[in-house]
Amino acid sequence: MRLMYVATPVLAALLATAVASGASQENRHKRWVKEYTGTETCLKCHEEEAEAFFHSQHYQWRGETPAMVNSDGQKLGKLTMINDFCTNPGGAQWIGKVTNDDGKVLAKGCSTCHAGLGLLPAETPSRVQLENIDCLICHANGYRRDLYATEDGEWEWRPILWKNQEGMNSVARRITVPTRTMCLRCHSASGGGPNYKRGDIEYTLKEPDRSFDVHMAANGKDMWCVDCHAGDAHRVKGRGVDLAATDSPGHDLSCSGSCHGETPHDVPALDNHTERVYCTTCHIPVFAKDEPTDMRRDWSTITWSEEKGKYTYDVTLEQNVEPVYAWYNGSSYNQIPGQPVRRNTDGAVTMVTPDGDRADPAARIYAFKLHRGVLPVLKGKDWIMPVATEELYHHGDPDRAVRDAAKSFYGLDQVDYEWTDTVRYMGLFHEIPPAEDALQCLDCHSPDGRMDWQALGYDGDPLATRRTAASKDSGR
Amino acid sequence: MKTSTTIALACLASFVILCLAVPAPSSAALDGQELYKEYCKGCHASGSPNGEYTPLDLIQDQWTRFFDRKYERTHKDVLDASHGNRPVIEVIGPEELQAIRDFAVEHASDSENPMTCG
Ligand code: HEC
Ligand code: HEC
Ligand code: HEC
Ligand code: HEC
Ligand code: HEC
Ligand code: HEC
Ligand code: HEC
Repeated sequence: MRLMYVATPVLAALLATAVASGASQENRHKRWVKEYTGTETCLKCHEEEAEAFFHSQHYQWRGETPAMVNSDGQKLGKLTMINDFCTNPGGAQWIGKVTNDDGKVLAKGCSTCHAGLGLLPAETPSRVQLENIDCLICHANGYRRDLYATEDGEWEWRPILWKNQEGMNSVARRITVPTRTMCLRCHSASGGGPNYKRGDIEYTLKEPDRSFDVHMAANGKDMWCVDCHAGDAHRVKGRGVDLAATDSPGHDLSCSGSCHGETPHDVPALDNHTERVYCTTCHIPVFAKDEPTDMRRDWSTITWSEEKGKYTYDVTLEQNVEPVYAWYNGSSYNQIPGQPVRRNTDGAVTMVTPDGDRADPAARIYAFKLHRGVLPVLKGKDWIMPVATEELYHHGDPDRAVRDAAKSFYGLDQVDYEWTDTVRYMGLFHEIPPAEDALQCLDCHSPDGRMDWQALGYDGDPLATRRTAASKDSGR
Repeated sequence: MKTSTTIALACLASFVILCLAVPAPSSAALDGQELYKEYCKGCHASGSPNGEYTPLDLIQDQWTRFFDRKYERTHKDVLDASHGNRPVIEVIGPEELQAIRDFAVEHASDSENPMTCG
């Protein structure tokens, strides 16, 4: 499917063999990578790509924020924000082993999902920073890494094959453009467990059936993540709704875009909707189809799990969840640390809300996962606060975890805080089932339908309203 | 209606059993991980002079090569003190060895696994 856009069949055939062989065994990098000694091996020929990658959001964990209504032009991202999953990856959270009293490893740090080998990203490139990039996490089949202590007492991510040079060389030669599996290494188990965070990016997408995902199934279009997401110079397209930064500003990714257009149906009754109802609203009837997803996480309620040998947050996992629906114009409000919190009518802090309403011509109704949480808020200042989650798994004291994080994140020694409910809207874009599973007219246009018409700014079901009006007309 | 569901379920059940049973009747019943612990770990734990080996220390090709070409040669003269001081290759039966091999290859360091935190 990567060949979809390739013009000449000859080139297509060539590429097909390259991709096919790359997926299973060593490929042409066999000639180029004689002995893998770390990222420096790749830098010999790919310094330019490494520099480009250095500036990407995947490395910086912050970037430009043109789609955030309240960012005021700041560069923001995972490193600077606080979320309602693992809160913030800075300070002691970044890297290091947390073990329980039996020596069992409970956590290794948030850099588990950073495409680097352990150093925090710097703002300007240097040799040390370029060598810190982990190219293999996105480009080598069969690559796995783990956390090791260095001689000078620091921590670093290393290929688990570091002592097995022959095996290491073999893996470092299996270079391809990123497969689905490679992207899923980080994206399918983010937030602390399988499918916990996103809900619509499950490890099943490694090799899904068409009934699960028409785009990525081998018996569907067999698309890879990069078919939709690859941009220029190591910047990916598609921010979704709840991430702060936009890695490829000005290069939007949408279903309509270059693939489907605005009127993909033969049925006018359906095409009439697309101006105001986004494709995902009808085409993602449920999410978390194989693995339950985290719908609510409460950091104030900590319990001991005998099974896991650690203290854990209170979590509500749900499967086959129906999305919620809201207007979205491509921009969002994200709660920024160090600014007074904004609350909705229920009093919950709005971590992320999509921007737009019915009166906004650029807005459409989208499908969302609505994640709820419980986080601390600093009294007086009204700032949202992080939690030192990694150590909490060991000591089990949420108060201590809040104080530790307040010190490392805000530099505060004394804090007076209270727990608060939070909500986050997260866009759903993946795991599109076959068209016959799409929502039908009555899923929305019926008294117990999915749309909360009033909340969306309608007097009631517009179809029913029209019908009533029509029957009144004919009655007169 | 009810009977046909029952029949369908019965078919499904037998299909599942057959599916599991046909390809590897013996090794499916054996737990490769447990056998690895029992028959290999004792001599290859961390710090062992015989070399440290967990499945994660080798790639799939290396495990295959080991079992195909090296295992017999390197373990025929090694006596296993925890199993009656007999040569390793006599202690471990062919079916058990197959289960250990499947386990090692399946969990080799180039097997894929998503990463996660806490
Ligand atoms: C001796 C030079 C050399 C070394 C060392 C090298 N590459 Fe390459 N690489 C190339 C060349 C040449 C190409 C092909 C460029 C093209 O097709 O235009 C390439 C292409 C690539 C591509 C594009 C995908 C593909 O297969 O065409 C990726 C990704 C890549 N290299 C990653 C790496 C990584 C990661 C390393 C370190 C393990 C590495 N390379 C080491 C020379 C090298
Ligand atoms: C090493 C872990 C890791 C790998 C591998 C990885 N990602 Fe990411 N990705 C992340 C993290 C973490 C973020 C969020 C960064 C932030 O919010 O600042 C992210 C963000 C994104 C975004 C949002 C960008 C934006 O504009 O906000 C997209 C899209 C994305 N990744 C796609 C991919 C694709 C496609 C692949 C495979 C080529 C991939 N990722 C591989 C960790 C990873
Ligand atoms: C977060 C995942 C990620 C990491 C880490 C990463 N790359 Fe890439 N790389 C990509 C994606 C995505 C593409 C675009 C693939 C496509 O166009 O289909 C790409 C493309 C490439 C290409 C092809 C030329 C190009 O620029 O499109 C080369 C060469 C390359 N990468 C080398 C590297 C090297 C060397 C490193 C380490 C310094 C590295 N990559 C780290 C995701 C990554
Ligand atoms: C058929 C196209 C398509 C494919 C294939 C695809 N995505 Fe996406 N993805 C999208 C769209 C569309 C968005 C939303 C973009 C936007 O609105 O900014 C998105 C958003 C994202 C985001 C941003 C966060 C979110 O979910 O809202 C991440 C991360 C991501 N995709 C990762 C992946 C990964 C990993 C894969 C492969 C397993 C993948 N995508 C495959 C179309 C695709
Ligand atoms: C109001 C609900 C609704 C919306 C909005 C909607 N679709 Fe559909 N779509 C459907 C239904 C229902 C079907 C199945 C139609 C059928 O069975 O003929 C369908 C079918 C399809 C098909 C298969 C077409 C075919 O001929 O087999 C595609 C592709 C598609 N939709 C894409 C999209 C895209 C892209 C968008 C956004 C631009 C979109 N849809 C918006 C409900 C919707
Ligand atoms: C995902 C929910 C959803 C589904 C499924 C859906 N609709 Fe709608 N429909 C809407 C929304 C929202 C509007 C209002 C759009 C607007 O504001 O213009 C609407 C508007 C309409 C209208 C226009 C009413 C007016 O204001 O004049 C008609 C007619 C209609 N739908 C018929 C259908 C039919 C027929 C189907 C099945 C083929 C269908 N809808 C499926 C959500 C849906
Ligand atoms: C009684 C101790 C003992 C037991 C039990 C044992 N080994 Fe060994 N193993 C050794 C010794 C001694 C060597 C070194 C042989 C040599 O260097 O000639 C060795 C070598 C190896 C090697 C390296 C071979 C090479 O040269 O590449 C591997 C791999 C290995 N063993 C795996 C296993 C596995 C798998 C098992 C269980 C099926 C196992 N061993 C059981 C003692 C043992």
